[in-house]
Amino acid sequence: MKRNRFLMGLAAALLIQMAVLLAFVFYKPDLYRDAVAVNEAVQSVQNDWGAMENHRNLTDLEYVVLDGRGNVLFRTGPGLSESINAAVVHGDTILDIEAEGEAAGKIIIYSGGAEDLQERKRAAVMILAAVIFAQLGICGGYVIYLDRILIRPFQKLKGFARRIAGGNLDIPLEMDRQNLFGAFTESFDIMRSELKKARAAEAEANAAKKELVARLSHDIRTPVASIRAAAEVGNALAGEEKLKDIYMQITRKVDQIDALVTDLFTASLEELQKLPVTPVDMAGAEVGTLLENADYLHRAVIPPVPDCLVYADRLRLQQVFDNVFANSYKYADTNIDLSIRRMERWLIVETEDCGGGVREEEIPLIKEKFKRGSNAGGIEGAGLGLYISDLFMREMKGKFLVENGESGLKVTVILALSGTI
Amino acid sequence: MREILLKTESLSKSFSSGGVMQHVLKNIDLELYKGDFTVIMGASGAGKSTLLYALSGMDTPSLGKICFGDRIISDLKQDELAVFRRRSCGFVFQQIYLIEGMSVMDNVLAAGLLTARDKKALTHRAEELFEKVGISEEARKKFPSQISGGEAQRVGIVRALINSPQVLFADEPTGALNSRTGLEVLDTLTEFHQSGQSIVMVTHDMRSARRGNRILYLKDGAVMGECNLGAYQHGDQERHEKLSGFLAEMGW
Amino acid sequence: MRKNFLIACSNLRRAKGQTVTIAALILLSSCMLNLWLMLATDYKQNFDRYHEKLNAEHVTLVLTGEDEKMREFVAGILEADSRTEQYSIEDAMAMVGSFTYGGGEINSELVILEKQAALSRTLGMVEIVEEGEDTSGIYIPMLYGMGDGHKTGEMMEITIGSEAFAYKVCGLSNSIMAGSHNCSMALLLLTEDKYRELEESGAAPGAILVSVRLWDRNEGEDFEAMLKNAVSAQYPQARTLSNSYHDVSTSRYISQMICSGILSAAAFLVLMIALVVIASNVADYIQENMKKLGALKAVGYTSGQLILALQVQFVGIAAITSAAGAALSYGLFPSINEMMISQTGIPYLMRFLPLPFLVTVCLENGAVALAVWLSSRRIGKIEPIVALRQGMQTHSFRRNHVPLAVTRIPLQIALALKTTLGALKQNVTICITMLVLSLVVVFAGVMVENIIVDTQPFIDLIVGETADACINVNTEREADFLQLAGEDDRVQKVYLYNSAEVRHVGGIALIATMSEDFSQINNPDVCFAGRFPIYDNEIAVAAKYAREKGLKIGDEITLTAGGGEAVFIISGFTQISNNLGKDCLLTRSGYERMDSLMHESYYINLAEGVDIDAFNDETGSRLGDGVNAVINIRAVIEGTSRVYISMMKYIVAVVLILSVVVVAFVLFLLVRTTLGNKKLDYGILKALGFTTGQLILQTAASFMPAVILSTAAGLTVSAFVINPLTALFLSGIGIVKCTFAVPVGFVAAAGCGLVLFAFAVSCLLSLKIRKIAPRNLLVGE
Repeated sequence: MKRNRFLMGLAAALLIQMAVLLAFVFYKPDLYRDAVAVNEAVQSVQNDWGAMENHRNLTDLEYVVLDGRGNVLFRTGPGLSESINAAVVHGDTILDIEAEGEAAGKIIIYSGGAEDLQERKRAAVMILAAVIFAQLGICGGYVIYLDRILIRPFQKLKGFARRIAGGNLDIPLEMDRQNLFGAFTESFDIMRSELKKARAAEAEANAAKKELVARLSHDIRTPVASIRAAAEVGNALAGEEKLKDIYMQITRKVDQIDALVTDLFTASLEELQKLPVTPVDMAGAEVGTLLENADYLHRAVIPPVPDCLVYADRLRLQQVFDNVFANSYKYADTNIDLSIRRMERWLIVETEDCGGGVREEEIPLIKEKFKRGSNAGGIEGAGLGLYISDLFMREMKGKFLVENGESGLKVTVILALSGTI
Repeated sequence: MREILLKTESLSKSFSSGGVMQHVLKNIDLELYKGDFTVIMGASGAGKSTLLYALSGMDTPSLGKICFGDRIISDLKQDELAVFRRRSCGFVFQQIYLIEGMSVMDNVLAAGLLTARDKKALTHRAEELFEKVGISEEARKKFPSQISGGEAQRVGIVRALINSPQVLFADEPTGALNSRTGLEVLDTLTEFHQSGQSIVMVTHDMRSARRGNRILYLKDGAVMGECNLGAYQHGDQERHEKLSGFLAEMGW
Repeated sequence: MRKNFLIACSNLRRAKGQTVTIAALILLSSCMLNLWLMLATDYKQNFDRYHEKLNAEHVTLVLTGEDEKMREFVAGILEADSRTEQYSIEDAMAMVGSFTYGGGEINSELVILEKQAALSRTLGMVEIVEEGEDTSGIYIPMLYGMGDGHKTGEMMEITIGSEAFAYKVCGLSNSIMAGSHNCSMALLLLTEDKYRELEESGAAPGAILVSVRLWDRNEGEDFEAMLKNAVSAQYPQARTLSNSYHDVSTSRYISQMICSGILSAAAFLVLMIALVVIASNVADYIQENMKKLGALKAVGYTSGQLILALQVQFVGIAAITSAAGAALSYGLFPSINEMMISQTGIPYLMRFLPLPFLVTVCLENGAVALAVWLSSRRIGKIEPIVALRQGMQTHSFRRNHVPLAVTRIPLQIALALKTTLGALKQNVTICITMLVLSLVVVFAGVMVENIIVDTQPFIDLIVGETADACINVNTEREADFLQLAGEDDRVQKVYLYNSAEVRHVGGIALIATMSEDFSQINNPDVCFAGRFPIYDNEIAVAAKYAREKGLKIGDEITLTAGGGEAVFIISGFTQISNNLGKDCLLTRSGYERMDSLMHESYYINLAEGVDIDAFNDETGSRLGDGVNAVINIRAVIEGTSRVYISMMKYIVAVVLILSVVVVAFVLFLLVRTTLGNKKLDYGILKALGFTTGQLILQTAASFMPAVILSTAAGLTVSAFVINPLTALFLSGIGIVKCTFAVPVGFVAAAGCGLVLFAFAVSCLLSLKIRKIAPRNLLVGE
């Protein structure tokens, strides 16, 4: 592309030269205007005839005016043809001057014939010189171009080959696809990069092998279980006490792992209630909203919740708060102190009413299923609220505490912050 | 008591994709100390890079507070963050991210000239840094596509350090490199650390992690544990064992 | 095909903004293209259709005098000439007259016919296009009833000769050859009673109206010259008045010609920009989708198929929008017709023209297809493996422009310059756009300065010589008049500026304008090459005529007038569009070598603030019979130039709005491309601590070098080429060289405005950078 552009540029330069030459050949100087000037000279002389001493030349022409007898009446300057004969010899224009309808004299208009020719010759030489100069320039440009496109790439190639031979594969061969040998030099560079790649691939394969071994050794932990069986058999078969001890130790260690698995297994079996709790991460600010929903009588002033993410189930947490507030409304029916604060990895929501609380000995039991405080009196209830709240909170990895505060029953809902492992 | 460089409180970051909220960072309370080479590790998707970007003011947290020195950067606007970044932080990216249209030198200066008053001093510093990381004068004139990945990453480090930032953040700096060039980059980082530069690096590569003196393990958007290697020498077998032990404990 | 369609659709979806831009540009250009074609083809042909419909004549000649023999003499000539197809000779009255029209005064030769006689003509029929209730009054050419002209039923005052008459307007007529002052004669129809009244008043002399239809209408001009010469040789005293098919058809459609010229230029300009936009779009697409294209090739698509998909995409848009644009032009046509009709004065009924429609659609689609093909050939060179491996070719040999270590330029600007120097294609697009637009701006500036703000340069160009008043005196009272004028201190300058008809032997009739001394006239630019005639054997001829006849300065031509013959040498070329370039200038003594003058028109410059009409009336009354006619030149010019000025206002407004819209469009595309290409870079720079504002300024600034340089260059070049270009444009009406002043202040201000506008727009468009967040650099998560 670049090469084509350069060559096209050269061709264009040559074409321009040719155009200039052709224009020069076909250029004709504008001779027409002379006719108007000659007319002006003749007319102005005719106007001034009779008083030629006052005549002034209004044109660019050089001329001499003769009267009927050949006397010079006027000349624009020295060195002009001043007789008809001299004018004929020099090739000047001779015209009649009329006065009152008759020829009264002659005007000889000087022609610059010889000077014109000289002028044109000079112009031709100048143009030719300019063309030759331009040709030289083009040739010089082409030489530089050849140097860039042919000679330098080869020199570069030389250095490149030396580096490859020396084992340095990192430095690419700088090459220009545009140059004449671009494709050729490119193949050298491909060779280099392939060599380099081959080396890198070899190193990588070695690294991968090592990694695989490491991972396999990690996986071996699993079959450890089968070791236990083998160890028991070993224990049974072993006669020596010392050997038995060793087998016992193996069994104990394997049991440890086994216990962990069993724990996991049994944990999933535990389903006391059919109430699914699915805690997710939610913004702490949402807790505030849930509290607002629960406190429909506006007994508490809800403080801002500190920035954090909590781990909770929106629906169940709402139920917990509903229970707490409903209980307070039912049994105490007073204003509620509410505080929310963050403590380490917990978000602690504390409520306390002014209802005096429950009897101290009932506190440990109050969260039990179907248990109600002695002050329940005739108030409706099944004694499940606090039990379920406690359950929910445990499901959410949180805690649910009920105790007697300074002025009334103090319920503390402790939410786990997300990310607490 | 060591000087605290960065401190977060309840740092959380959530993204919503397709209407579902995804919480990548959850209530991270963290203190990073001056002069430490802190390494953040964790499995893919644990939120390592998100944490790094939040710490470095590239991104704003959804919840929580980040204090850089005595400045709370979590409340800053985008443009204020940009000014904060150019003064106080340096970055090294996994993908290196040099600007293609500029020479290596200009890549570094473009970052440096943002804050520098004295161009001569800046150029001098750039040359010093280049010297230190072993980028030849010839390579400094090249374009990023013309140098090798390892060189490019070292240029990335120079660019990150040109403004003498208080802390250098590196996001898997060896992730896009092969093991040999990766090592060179790690050596460079270690060297800078030893001369007092605070570094926070995210990686999931144990070989890289070994370079740090404090390892944090991130899991599901929370810091699960940390391990201090400061007491052991580099290249020490104990250091290696301590780290492998820690990682095994974390379920690596 | 279906696969291609799918690819095209997915491409379209991903580049909605660009698609809309391209569609809008094509819509605009096809709308203008179709308008132009409609104006240039059918609109002009409308004249011929009407000419045929009304069986109009090709040569009209009005001869004053009531000699019966004159009628026979003319009939004899017409019978004898084999070119005559049909002719008619009727009684009429003819006189110079004037009346108000369009805020100015119309001064025209009036031909007055009796209504019934006129309607019964079979040759050169007269059509009544609007008729009121009244049965006694006047029917005027419909041109004078259009817009805010004279309404049917109103009274209007007409000065015929030197007497004023008031008539009720009974209706509007349409005559092809005598439709308005533009045709050099306006036909008035009077009801019988009014006709008799006028006849008796003697204000207008009786005349005969000769209408000739020729076998070949191209011979109209020659025939006209022949007839006129023959008549004036026989009846030297008779006042003659004539026109021919060619003159009328040209002069009635000057504004149509100008308007269609501008429309065509604008249409091609917008089309070109659309093509540039498409080309850069395709190039970007290939650049961005190198991998995808490589993958498609790898699975077996041929380059041809991939190019075809692009063709389907762009030609599809072009096909729909060019058809829509052509349709849109039909909506705009009525308002253009409204503008044109005030000069043509011929009703035009809009109808669907299939050929222009087809040409428009084909041209637009062809051009788009070509642009896509030229810019998508690169696909052929993509090697699938190379493309898949690295997206682009390796080894880039860019230079590190503006090295930061060395440069003293501030960082922001240095970075912007890096972008500028690295994006050649973008700069070329900007340059082309701004170059073209600066020409447009200069054009608008020249038009505003020379036509709207100061009408004189335009009038000088079109009319040639203007003064305040013109008084035509009889030769015997000439000396009295000159003495009177010399004593009057309201008169600043009075000079002979008289026109008479001469015939070029071997050519046609020319209007010769003569003066004693051409150095006195107000507009020396009339003679633009050579010089004015000074001696009695010199002549300056209209350049248009000289070109047609191959005459050069220094050549000799022979003229005849009033039976005399003389040889003249051409001393210069003139340009006067009044007679559509059939003019020449002579000295008075030069004309008198052929014929003597019976009466002379003098042009008069009056002092500032003198009431021209009052001056004319006073002079007229003081010389009595010695004055044949007085004209308020200012008023006449105001009336005739109004149409041009209003047209130019429209054009300038449209042109400026267009250039603003185009700049915005092009920048929109460029900014999009830049942001697309540099999204990653911007992300990195943001991470390094660059603020959004800095990056926006950087982006906008990166366009500025190209914008500023090309605007400056464009304005400078345009300032030089605008005059030749305008001359080319107006060559049809005899203008060869324009010397409009280029308003440097306006152009400079407009240039600055354009640059600032470009900067503001690119800042605005780069606001998208706000959305680029360093967070996007995150890889894994």
